[in-house]
Amino acid sequence: MSGFWKKTFGWIDERAQLMNLIEFMGKKYVPVHRHSVWYYFGGVSLFLFIIQVVTGILLLLYYKGSEDLAFESIQFIMSKVRFGWLIRSVHSWAANLFILAAMIHMFSVLFSKAYRKPREITWLTGMLMFFLALGFGFSGYLLPWNELAFFATKVGTDIAGVIPVVGRPIMMFLRGGEDVTGATLSRFFGFHVAVLPGIFTVFLGIHLLFVQRQGMSEPLGMENTRSAERKTMPFFPNFLLRDLLLWLIVLNVLAILAVFFPWELGKKADAFASAPAGIKPEWYFLYMFQTLKYLPAKLLSIDGEVFGILLFAVAGILWTLVPFWDRKSARGERNRLVNYVGLIAVIYIIVFTIVGWVL
Amino acid sequence: MTILLAIALGAVFSVAPPRTDQCLVCHEGMGDRSAELFRRDVHFKKGLSCADCHGGHASSDDAERAMSKQAGFIGRPQADEVTAVCARCHSNSETMRQLRSNLRTGQAEALAASVHGRSSLSGKGRIAQCTTCHEAHGIVSPKDRSSPVHPLNVTRTCSRCHSDAALMRSYNPSLPVDQLEKYRTSVHGMRNKQGDAKVAECASCHGDHGIRAANDVRSAVYATNMPATCSKCHSDSAYMKEYRIPTDQFAKFSRSVHGLALLQKHDLAAPTCNDCHGNHGAAPPGVESLSKVCGTCHVLNAELFSASPHKKAFDDRRLPECETCHSNHEIAAATDRLLGVGPDAVCSRCHRENENRKGFLVALSMHRMIDSLEHEEKFAGMLLEEAEQKGMEVSEPKFKLRDARQARLQSRTTVHAFDEQKFREVVEKGLASALTVSEASQEAIDEFYFRRWGLGVSTLIITVLAVSLYLTVRRIERKQRDTIR
Repeated sequence: MSGFWKKTFGWIDERAQLMNLIEFMGKKYVPVHRHSVWYYFGGVSLFLFIIQVVTGILLLLYYKGSEDLAFESIQFIMSKVRFGWLIRSVHSWAANLFILAAMIHMFSVLFSKAYRKPREITWLTGMLMFFLALGFGFSGYLLPWNELAFFATKVGTDIAGVIPVVGRPIMMFLRGGEDVTGATLSRFFGFHVAVLPGIFTVFLGIHLLFVQRQGMSEPLGMENTRSAERKTMPFFPNFLLRDLLLWLIVLNVLAILAVFFPWELGKKADAFASAPAGIKPEWYFLYMFQTLKYLPAKLLSIDGEVFGILLFAVAGILWTLVPFWDRKSARGERNRLVNYVGLIAVIYIIVFTIVGWVL
Repeated sequence: MTILLAIALGAVFSVAPPRTDQCLVCHEGMGDRSAELFRRDVHFKKGLSCADCHGGHASSDDAERAMSKQAGFIGRPQADEVTAVCARCHSNSETMRQLRSNLRTGQAEALAASVHGRSSLSGKGRIAQCTTCHEAHGIVSPKDRSSPVHPLNVTRTCSRCHSDAALMRSYNPSLPVDQLEKYRTSVHGMRNKQGDAKVAECASCHGDHGIRAANDVRSAVYATNMPATCSKCHSDSAYMKEYRIPTDQFAKFSRSVHGLALLQKHDLAAPTCNDCHGNHGAAPPGVESLSKVCGTCHVLNAELFSASPHKKAFDDRRLPECETCHSNHEIAAATDRLLGVGPDAVCSRCHRENENRKGFLVALSMHRMIDSLEHEEKFAGMLLEEAEQKGMEVSEPKFKLRDARQARLQSRTTVHAFDEQKFREVVEKGLASALTVSEASQEAIDEFYFRRWGLGVSTLIITVLAVSLYLTVRRIERKQRDTIR
């Protein structure tokens, strides 16, 4: 470290006790084993979320959340604002990569049973953040106010509307009326830039706090290994620098995607136009959408679509509550059932997403 | 039922020569006009009796028995009964064959499906029955000069209702009632009045029993069907021989810009025969009125032409205005080649280099201007397409390109003013728009390459950073391992 940096560091350390923090982080160790690679997806998700926040704030400088101006403002960002095209493309691509990374992170936690006691709250906050991420995706998709977004939101909120008892009030609340209109855009904008980020930040804080307090979870059976045989690496600087390395790679991938596959804007939404053929939701909703399409009109004397939605809701709740019903893992025993359920879910999501994409 | 059967059988087997018809005997004796008319009725001559339509005992001289309901007497058929009575024979080909008639059948069905088959004001029956046009008694063949549906009489027959403003208002207030008046001014009407039964009358174009409203796509006078309807006569060289007019109008029209739009693209905004010639008052437009006729659609072109120096020149030389340059039935899509002094140009037909040099030079200059505008517009479009293909956001220049195109279209209209200065102003406006589009497109293309280079540089920087980070991690870990040892 050169003299100038040493002096600056010393000046700050004198006031903020940075060395204490470094020492604390240096004493934190990350387990090293053949599944360690999955630890990095939490960090990648965090990095992509930070990119979303930064690019989102930049877009907010020019975006106008009204029916008459939303499309035009994005058009302006794409064509007139210096590097506006890059910011918007990065925001759109990072949103998708964020959900992908969060999904991988969630499945890796599930398969390694890292949710087991004492990390139930970490899992719960993670799952809630995942649902919020889907909410970010759904609300953000409408903001450019283009044809595809308009009709996909119509279909999406229609689906919410078929849930018995609460469906219609939910649909009315989301849309701000009977139909998808400028009122829907305004509230989706509000959800996207204020409500969801606020809640997300609280959960993220709790999640990170618990990760720091409890450290990384070790795979089942590792507790029985003798401490001399256990491999670890210091969180700082080893793990953090590796994390940074991966972040740089992700940043590179993002830049390539944004330049070579700029996010299209499409045609401005027109409520009176007929829906374009092949309306599809974003890829992370596609497997559910495709399933609903395959369900028969009536199933067990209830409407097929309602049945499907209820099924997904129940599955989502059970999934979220896994630390509480998987008692075996909590006791340190292997639970093959969770592995099988997780594996089936992964295969099911991949197959139905591909089918939905191709058909 | 038995009685009806008897009537039907009576109708079928009454082909024998007229027997003593007691109805006729009595009613003639009473001085009944209908009975008198029936004597010369084609049905009487075919051996039909009064009872065949009215029911009852035709052979009984006892009025009570002859007109008893038990004998199926229905008296005067009311409303739709009239057509039903006629249809008993006229919709039955077997009966018609036995009556030795070669008339086609199905008129009643066609009438029921026609515009006249709709419910009348009273709601008791259709608007028109067979007798509305053919009369009830004294019916003769349509070929008979005295028939109300003979070609020389049919216009009068139709006009009984169609010229009655009060009646027509009850059914269709927007329908004109001056068709007969117009018809009398038309070439068809004038010849018809002179006794020419070959020329078109109402039924020639509208059909007879199955007449549809003109806005019904099945109507023979619906815009897209009109050329074929007119061409039934006007493309028949044998039929038209005595009139000594060309018979290639339909063929030419079909190839024309109007014909292609109407007949192939089904564009109802395109003119059909009657839009230029009139329908009921059909006549070829006169030399002076030609620009007015074309000007009903091509308003600006006509106005500019009328105010131009060409108007007087054309009138003086008795040149048909629009037709001189654009032809009539075979009007081709006007291209820029029409302007100028090239082989396809029409200007040089009059403005020759050595005879009328000023006009020749103006035509040449105007052609060059529109040519350069077209070239600049194409060039701008090409750059724009390239930028778009590269995925750049070019909606604004794309919109701006419309201005250049608009200016080119406007210049093609302005050309009818034959004023070089006015023309130049419009062209320059288009050239400025095309230039703006070219510049914006070029900027977008440059931006595309800038992004590629930018990506290359940033990727390189990030990669260098990543590699140095990797080396740092390796160095730190090596140091840590050494410390442990």
